[in-house]
Amino acid sequence: MGRGSEMVGDEIVLRVENIHKRYKDQEVLKGVTFEVRRGETKVIAGPSGAGKSTLLRCINLLTKPDKGRVWLEGVELTDPETNINKMRQKIGFVFQEFNLFHHLTALENVMIGLTKVKKLPKDVARKKAEEALLTVHITEDLWHKYPAQLSGGQKQRVAIARALAMDPVIILYDEPTSALDPQLVGEVLRVMEELARKGVTGLVVTHEIGFALEVADEILFMYGGRILERGPPREVVFSPKHEVTRKFFENITKLYGGK
Amino acid sequence: MDPVWWEYIPYILQGAIWTFTLVGGGLALGFAIGVPVAMGQKYGPTWLKAVLDAYVWFFRGTPLVVLLFLFYWGVFPVLLGIKLDALTTSIIVLGLRSGAYQSQIFRGALNSVDEGQMLAARALGMTKWQAITNIILPQALRIAIPGWTNEYAIILKDSAICFTLGVIEILTRTRYVVISTGEALGPFLFAGILYIIFTYGGTKVFNIIYEKYHIPGLVGKGV
Amino acid sequence: MGFWEEFIPLVLHGAVNTLWVLVISIPASVALAIALGSARVYGNAPIKAIATAFVVTFRGFPLVVTLFLLFFGLADLGIYLTPYQTATLAFVLCGGSYMSEYVRGAIRSIDIGQSLAARALGMTKFQELIYIILPQAIRRALPGLSNEIIYQIKYSSLAFVVGYEEIFAVSKTFISRYFMPLQVFMVDAALYLAMTTAAAYGLRALEYKLRIPGLEMSIR
Ligand SMILES: Nc1ncnc2c1ncn2[C@@H]1O[C@H](COP(=O)(O)OP(=O)(O)OP(=O)(O)O)[C@@H](O)[C@H]1O
Ligand SMILES: [Mg+2]
Repeated sequence: MGRGSEMVGDEIVLRVENIHKRYKDQEVLKGVTFEVRRGETKVIAGPSGAGKSTLLRCINLLTKPDKGRVWLEGVELTDPETNINKMRQKIGFVFQEFNLFHHLTALENVMIGLTKVKKLPKDVARKKAEEALLTVHITEDLWHKYPAQLSGGQKQRVAIARALAMDPVIILYDEPTSALDPQLVGEVLRVMEELARKGVTGLVVTHEIGFALEVADEILFMYGGRILERGPPREVVFSPKHEVTRKFFENITKLYGGK
Repeated sequence: MDPVWWEYIPYILQGAIWTFTLVGGGLALGFAIGVPVAMGQKYGPTWLKAVLDAYVWFFRGTPLVVLLFLFYWGVFPVLLGIKLDALTTSIIVLGLRSGAYQSQIFRGALNSVDEGQMLAARALGMTKWQAITNIILPQALRIAIPGWTNEYAIILKDSAICFTLGVIEILTRTRYVVISTGEALGPFLFAGILYIIFTYGGTKVFNIIYEKYHIPGLVGKGV
Repeated sequence: MGFWEEFIPLVLHGAVNTLWVLVISIPASVALAIALGSARVYGNAPIKAIATAFVVTFRGFPLVVTLFLLFFGLADLGIYLTPYQTATLAFVLCGGSYMSEYVRGAIRSIDIGQSLAARALGMTKFQELIYIILPQAIRRALPGLSNEIIYQIKYSSLAFVVGYEEIFAVSKTFISRYFMPLQVFMVDAALYLAMTTAAAYGLRALEYKLRIPGLEMSIR
C-alpha cells in the first residue's frame, strides 16, 4: 500500500468519466473512468500505444475528448461554458520532454505562469518561484541558467517547479523520467516522492515500478484504450488478474530492475 | 477624348519580350559568372578569393539603379570608351550583379556536397579537377536549383528597374500608357499582376526542372 | 565652386533623407512582418487568407510598381501622398511582406512542446504567441530579417522614382550639371556600401546579443 495514503482524504478532486477519443479510424480511448482523491498519488501504467498520454491530455483538454466528462473540484472542464484557461492553471502538467521555455531562465520559466497567467505582482511571483525551485532542490546557482545549460534531471525538476508554483489542485506527469539518462532518473523520482508525501495530489504515467510500489495509492493498468485492471500497487504488480498485466510487469521488472 | 488604358494591353504585353530578354540574359550571364566565382572562392588560391570576395561585396552591396547608371554613363563610355545601348548595358549589369548572388547560391550548394564525395573520387584515382567536374559539380548544380528559382523571381522584379535607362520592357511601356491616357491605377495594377503571374509561372518551370533532375533522397543543407 | 565642394554636401543631404525614410520604414517593416507572420500561422481562416493575399501581392509587385501605384495610382482615387510618405509606405508594404516569410517559417519551426507547455499553464493562444512563441521565433528569424533590412537599404534608392530627394536622386540631377558620372555614382556606391556593411555588422552584433546561452539557434 502506498505510503502517501495517510494524507488521502475522501474528497474527490478529479473525476474522469467515460472518456472516448479516436484519431481517424483508430479508437485510442474506449471509455475511461476513474477518480483521484485529494492527496492521493495514482500511477497509470501500460504498454506503448495504450493511450496513456492521450488520456492525460484529455484531462486538461490539450486534446479534446470525443465523448465523456471531466470534473476538477466539482467544476466540469468538458462543459463548453467553462473557461478552460482558468481551469488549466489548477492542473500542473509535466511533460516527458520537459518543454521548458527555451528563451527563459530557470527562474523565469517558473515565474511566467505566475506573472502572465495569474497576474501576480513580480516580487510576489519571484518569491513563490524561488520557493518552488528550492522545493525541487534547484539551488540559487542554477536560477539564472537557461534550459540549454541544465542537465536533463535539472530541467525536469524546473518543469516540476513550474507546475508546482501555480498551486495546482493536481499535477499530471507524463512519463517524466523516460527522456532522462538512467543516472538522472533518481533525482526526479525523489522530488516526485517528496511532493507526494507532502500531500500534493498526483497522477503519474510511469514505468518506474519502484516508484509505483513505494508511493502510489493505486495503479491503473491501461491496455488498448481501457483501464484493464486497477488496485493497490502490490496486487496489480505481483498478483494481477490478467495475463497481459502479468506479462507487462514481468517485462518491465526485467528491464528496469524493480525493487 | 483620351483613349482608355486597356486598349493598350497588347502594347504592354509586348514588353514581356524585353523583360524576358533582360531576365534570360541576366540569369545566363550571372550563371556563367557565378559558377566559376564560387569554385574560385572554394578551391582557388588566397589572392583569388580576396578578389572574388571584393567583387561579390561590391555588387551585392550597391543598389541596382546605381550600378545601371554607373555603367551606362560612367564605366562603359568614360572608363572603357565604348558606347553600349541601354538593353546591352542592362543585361551586363543584371548579369554581373546576379553573378555575385548566384556565386553565393552555388557556394552553399558546393559546401553541402559532403567531403566524402571528394575523398571517394580521389581514392578512385581522379585528379582534383576531374573530381570537381565529374562528381562535385553535377551534384551541386542540382542542389542549387531551388536557389536559382529564387534568383529568377528576384531578377524578374529587378528587371523593372531597367525602365530607368529606357529599355522598353513592361514597366516602361506601362508608364507610356499612363502618360498618354492620364490613368495610373489601372495600368500599374495590371503591370503588378503581370509580374506576379510571371513569377509564379517561372517558378513552376523551375520546379519541373528540379523534379526532373533532383536525385531522390539528396537534399542540400545550405541552400 | 568646384565639383567636390558642391557635390559632397548635396549627396550628404541626400543621405540624410535616405536615413529619414529608413529609420521609420525598417522598424515598421519588422512590426508588419511579425503581425503578418503571426496571422498566417495563428489566425483563423479569413485572417490567414487576407494576410496571405497581402504577402503574395506585395512580394509579387516589383517595388517600383508599388511606388508608382501608391504615388500615381492612389492619386486617381483622390489620395495624394507626399514622396516621403509614398517611399516609407512602399518600403513597409514590400519589406514587411518579404520579412513575414521568415517570421512565419520561424514560428512554425518552434517545437509543439513549447505551445503545449504554455497552454498547460493556462495561457490563452494570444498569450502563448506573445510570451512564448514570438520571443523565440524572432530570434530565429533574425538572420533572414537582417538580409531583408540590408535589401531595404539598397532598394531605398528607388524612392527617386516618385521624386524623393535621396542619395541617388540628387546624384542623377547633379550629373546634368557636372558630367562626371564615374565619380558621382562611385560616391553613391560607396555610401550604400558603407550603410549596408555597417548594418550587416550591427545586425550581427544584435543577433549575438540576443542569443540564448547554450542554445544553437542560428541556422546559418
Ligand atoms: N495526434 C495524434 N494523431 C493521430 N494519432 C495519435 C495522435 N496522438 C496519439 N495517437 C495514437 O494514439 C495511440 C495512443 O497514443 P498515446 O501517446 O496516448 O499512447 P501512450 O500510451 O502514451 O504510449 P507511450 O507509452 O508510447 O507514450 C497511438 O497509437 C498513437 O499513434
Ligand atoms: Mg505517452
